[in-house]
Amino acid sequence: MNKIYLWGVIVTAIMLAATGYTLIETAGGKKDLSEVLSGDIVNTLAVAGAVALVIITVFVVLKYVRQMQVDSADGELAEESWDDIGEYYNPIPTGWAIMYLVTMVWGMWYFVVGYPVNSYSQIGEYNEDVAVHNAKFEKKYASITGDRLVEMGESVFLTECKVCHGLAADGVDGKAADLNVRLAVTTVKDVIMNGSNNSLLGSENPMPNRDGIMNANKDYAPITDAEIDTVSAYVANGMSGEGADVFAGACAVCHGEDGKGMEYVAPNIATYDQTLIVNVLNHGKKGSIGTMPAFDRLNTKQKEAVSAYIISLSKGE
Amino acid sequence: MFHWLEKHPFFFALSVFVVIAYAGLIEIVPSFAQASRPLVGTTPYSTLELAGRQVYIKNSCNACHSQLVRPFKSETDRYGHYSMSGEYAYDRPFLWGSKRTGPDLMRVGNYRTTDWHENHMKDPAAVVPGSIMPKYPWLYDNEVDLETAYAEQLTVAQFFSVPYNKEIPMKDGTTKVIKMGDSIAESNALALEEARIIVADMKDQNIKDAVASGKIPEIVAIIAYMNSLK
Repeated sequence: MNKIYLWGVIVTAIMLAATGYTLIETAGGKKDLSEVLSGDIVNTLAVAGAVALVIITVFVVLKYVRQMQVDSADGELAEESWDDIGEYYNPIPTGWAIMYLVTMVWGMWYFVVGYPVNSYSQIGEYNEDVAVHNAKFEKKYASITGDRLVEMGESVFLTECKVCHGLAADGVDGKAADLNVRLAVTTVKDVIMNGSNNSLLGSENPMPNRDGIMNANKDYAPITDAEIDTVSAYVANGMSGEGADVFAGACAVCHGEDGKGMEYVAPNIATYDQTLIVNVLNHGKKGSIGTMPAFDRLNTKQKEAVSAYIISLSKGE
Repeated sequence: MFHWLEKHPFFFALSVFVVIAYAGLIEIVPSFAQASRPLVGTTPYSTLELAGRQVYIKNSCNACHSQLVRPFKSETDRYGHYSMSGEYAYDRPFLWGSKRTGPDLMRVGNYRTTDWHENHMKDPAAVVPGSIMPKYPWLYDNEVDLETAYAEQLTVAQFFSVPYNKEIPMKDGTTKVIKMGDSIAESNALALEEARIIVADMKDQNIKDAVASGKIPEIVAIIAYMNSLK
């Protein structure tokens, strides 16, 4: 008997013994092997697997060691020879070749007709993501109100609006509108001087410039420079202080006694309201300070939230 | 034949190259040709915008600002619609950028305005607290190089058939014509006409005076370019 087989038997015995020892150790060290195996079919299967692995390993190693010992070159040589190193002509196993070709054909089908080229697109994935997100957003924030709406508005403000209006919404030294107050003196004055197209309210009738503003309390005399200064200060001061009589005479006919405006006719100039803010977000604005671009890519809820935040700012706390 | 190729490495390498190059050609060229056509509504740059684009490149704005909105919700929420290849049809060279130290500028014309840019380039930190963007005061002094912009227009019109002075279809079904001058004088006049519209929205009296006297500071050109990015 070849010595190699003896070694095979010895190695198998050692490895099986080691497997048994490990089993008993992990099971607590005191039970014998039959007790370990009686508990659970999983243990039995694992042990069977380990034993099979040991035997297969030894068998395969033995086969190749044996082949190295006794094998001699035979078979048909391919015609090429590279630096005198030849190559046997080994026909490809038929079953393997068929599987190889079938896989290739399937691969082409899968890539071209199946998923990637035919059905996948980056934009499609994007559209799906957006649809899922929007549905989640709608569901989560459908009934959000009060403080939470203001909080949402603040977070949108800090992302989109603070770049121009500033962290504190104060307009960064007059570079944008100060949102803590409804109107600044210069803005009111500018509008009275130059009029306004009023298109944010969807109205055909623009506000006239100073030549078209008459004071009803003074027999419809055109508004004077002094009156413009007074009434601008009055409006900017939150509709209080000096100038109430000029406002009542010249402005109240459209903006209302309390300055809260009239639907389709004149905007609310006493306080911010949601209609006004959503209009500005949708269409942008060109005022005395500069041009504000439209932010119509915010969704309806976000616009509502921004309005709530801005309204909360101008009311103080 | 394959046995012969295996014995001749040079010809083997050559046939590998031919096979891969052929595959590349039929795979890449058709989709490239289609994707690089201008989108409906994409117009070439006017003289002033092109001059502004050169100011943008000269000041390495593209080192910190990308011009490529990727199709992710977080990006489209912030910057607007994702970029499409046809939108870059008239960009030579493209300014996609590879790093965003500052925000993407692909569609900055939609959400920033002339007066904002005017304040911002003078002192970014005064407009956006905490901004690390440096000041660009020289834009307000240097005069823009309109001749180079005109030369570029002539070149692209001649060699790449960029449709200047032709009707370009827009999204709403109308057409738009981007004018290019027949001479340097005419081109400068066109640019000045465009600059007047921009400075009407600006506050800086020096800039207004400069444009009124026929000079165009770089800031006006770069604002024209920024406003054209939509």
